[in-house]
Amino acid sequence: MPVIVLASPKGGVGKSTCAVLLASEFARMGASVKVLDCDPNKSLTRWASHGLPSGVTVHSDIGRSEIVPAIRKADGDGQIVIVDLEGVASQLVSRAISQADLVIVPMQPTALDAEIGSEALALVKEEEEALGRPIRHAVVLTKTSAAVKSRVQKELEAQLKAAGIDMIEPSLVARAAFSELFAYGHDLTAMLKDADMVTGGKIDKALENAQAFAEAVYERLK
Amino acid sequence: MNGSNRLAGLKARPKDSGPQEVKIADEIGEARGFLDRTPRKKPGRKASPRTYQLHPKVMPKTGESISAEAERLGITQGQLIEQMWEAWQAGS
Repeated sequence: MPVIVLASPKGGVGKSTCAVLLASEFARMGASVKVLDCDPNKSLTRWASHGLPSGVTVHSDIGRSEIVPAIRKADGDGQIVIVDLEGVASQLVSRAISQADLVIVPMQPTALDAEIGSEALALVKEEEEALGRPIRHAVVLTKTSAAVKSRVQKELEAQLKAAGIDMIEPSLVARAAFSELFAYGHDLTAMLKDADMVTGGKIDKALENAQAFAEAVYERLK
Repeated sequence: MNGSNRLAGLKARPKDSGPQEVKIADEIGEARGFLDRTPRKKPGRKASPRTYQLHPKVMPKTGESISAEAERLGITQGQLIEQMWEAWQAGS
């Protein structure tokens, strides 16, 4: 089954949020999903500690020497593998990319995120060349505004498209429900059903966004 | 998106994951500033597990007496302490 790697040497761009949304949506589609939490902040492990959706397992403490065997093992078990990486430029990142079927580079629509994120894109391209196999990669914009598309976002999208970078549509909108997943665990459908859960945001809109994002990723895995 | 598992048909693309491929990934990463950032282990010998035994230096005269008596009897200090323990248990 495919290996999806979430990579960016910058922290706070939404790698873990993307990983949670993809894991829970793919599990809802009936897949068995294994998430490898390689981030020392253990965001995914914290999410898992509150309860996981059915079909998702999370493995923590995956370091540089464990990453390749861990991916190979999970891949062989017939599971979709999602690798959430740390937000630093490390060999753990380059090793994970070498085993990826799809590398997703999340970035907020800011010049800084784009500049640092482009390091990950350049690394993928160099690994493709050296390993002699195509490694599909795409950018997803995160924490975008639900109401308006900023000028910076429009410019960034135009630049990325002009550079031939695959852009995942839709972007992930800044939604309170996405952040709250790390506090409540499970997935957005569970959140939607729980009347006591207060997120201060629109869970249905967040779910719609997550589903469309997962569909767009699925199209790239076919 | 519920229902049949559409994802079952997805397959991983064939890829090598041997030492050579890992070496290539490391070299390319390093050239781009993606370095080995594994936290270094604390140098030096690991602390011995605590045994709660009293160090001979705490009561040097007692330690010297046990040592001299063990030597006189031709046994080790450990054997002497075992004998003392048995005698103490028999007496209590």
